[in-house]
Amino acid sequence: MNIKKQFYEGLLTKNPVTVQLLGMCSTMAITTSLFNGLGMGVAVTIILTCSNIIISALRKFIPSQIRIAAYVTIIAGFVTIVDLAIQAFLPDLSTSLGVFIPLIVVNCIILGRAEAFASKNGVLASALDGIFQGIGYTVALTIVCVIRELLGSGTFGGGLLNGGEGIRLIPAEYPAMLMVMPVGGFLVLGCVIAGSQWLMKHLDIKSKKKEAAK
Amino acid sequence: MKKESTVHYVLRLTLTLLVITSLVAVALAGVNAVTAPRIAAQQEEKTQAAIEAVLPGGGAAVAFTDATGLVSQVYQGENGCAVQVTPAGFNGGITMMVGIGTDGAVLGISIISQTETAGLGAVAAADTAAGEAFRSQFAGTSGTVAVTKDGGQIDAITGATITSRAICTGVSAALECAANLG
Repeated sequence: MNIKKQFYEGLLTKNPVTVQLLGMCSTMAITTSLFNGLGMGVAVTIILTCSNIIISALRKFIPSQIRIAAYVTIIAGFVTIVDLAIQAFLPDLSTSLGVFIPLIVVNCIILGRAEAFASKNGVLASALDGIFQGIGYTVALTIVCVIRELLGSGTFGGGLLNGGEGIRLIPAEYPAMLMVMPVGGFLVLGCVIAGSQWLMKHLDIKSKKKEAAK
Repeated sequence: MKKESTVHYVLRLTLTLLVITSLVAVALAGVNAVTAPRIAAQQEEKTQAAIEAVLPGGGAAVAFTDATGLVSQVYQGENGCAVQVTPAGFNGGITMMVGIGTDGAVLGISIISQTETAGLGAVAAADTAAGEAFRSQFAGTSGTVAVTKDGGQIDAITGATITSRAICTGVSAALECAANLG
């Protein structure tokens, strides 16, 4: 088990959004303000970590023939718990994320990590995988949110700062509405993916130079 | 290892899944028991706040007749009535409260719950300047309400014509219902 490697993979080299391209529906739909991105990210991280732990703990108990049914049941259970908790304790977040919380059930990140990681690794490693993949998802989502919100609405921190209005950086008549619509989501996501690819290459070259210098 | 018999195999899979689903069901029942009263209280609070927001002085539930099938509740007070309608939006029902004065004109509207697209249709319900601006257009309207694209008087939210249309349909239904209230 290698915590540093897992962290690095979740954040960059195997980032669920920019590299594995999982959970695109939620990425496109809710990344219009900072509050939405963070809220969705935290919800997915919690569900991913919990389901990874349970699935990893039960991996020897669940026969492989019915594993998908079992995973979906466990994931749906956690999603419903989080959905009910948000409705009860954070009604504002529930209003703005709407239908996308229940839709986490079919978010491929969760089932993807259950199948690819939790079903083959120990409980602790799976918990860390859930946390790191969740952080990677949150970070990617937040970056997309900040760019789309700035270009589309001209604000920063919408739903969270300045009484929900966000801090206005561009006067109200200039922002491009296009960026808030799905097409803007694809444009920004493409650029963010390109940026992360560049960063990975950059870091790769750096670490190779270091090795050569030794 | 002895080969597993078919009966044993089927039973093993079924029982395993049964155990998992039962545990999940028990966990959900527990969470629901804790959250259900809170969610119901919040829904009730939202409804009361929505009535107060569109009808000064509030009102009490009364019987009503409705031809559109969209009206779910009517509250009548001394300043008019508040009609709860649920028109079909882009992404499901939009539950909202329409306040109608004694003169038959809209006092104001308030959206209780919706599942419209975040950043587009959801703007209609948002507590922002854009949301306020959209909702305030309905004050003073009467008869049939429609968006400018359909020859009406309401400026639709950019990129959310369907949501805007749905809200107009809801307000029209509420006006019709209030007119029949007598």
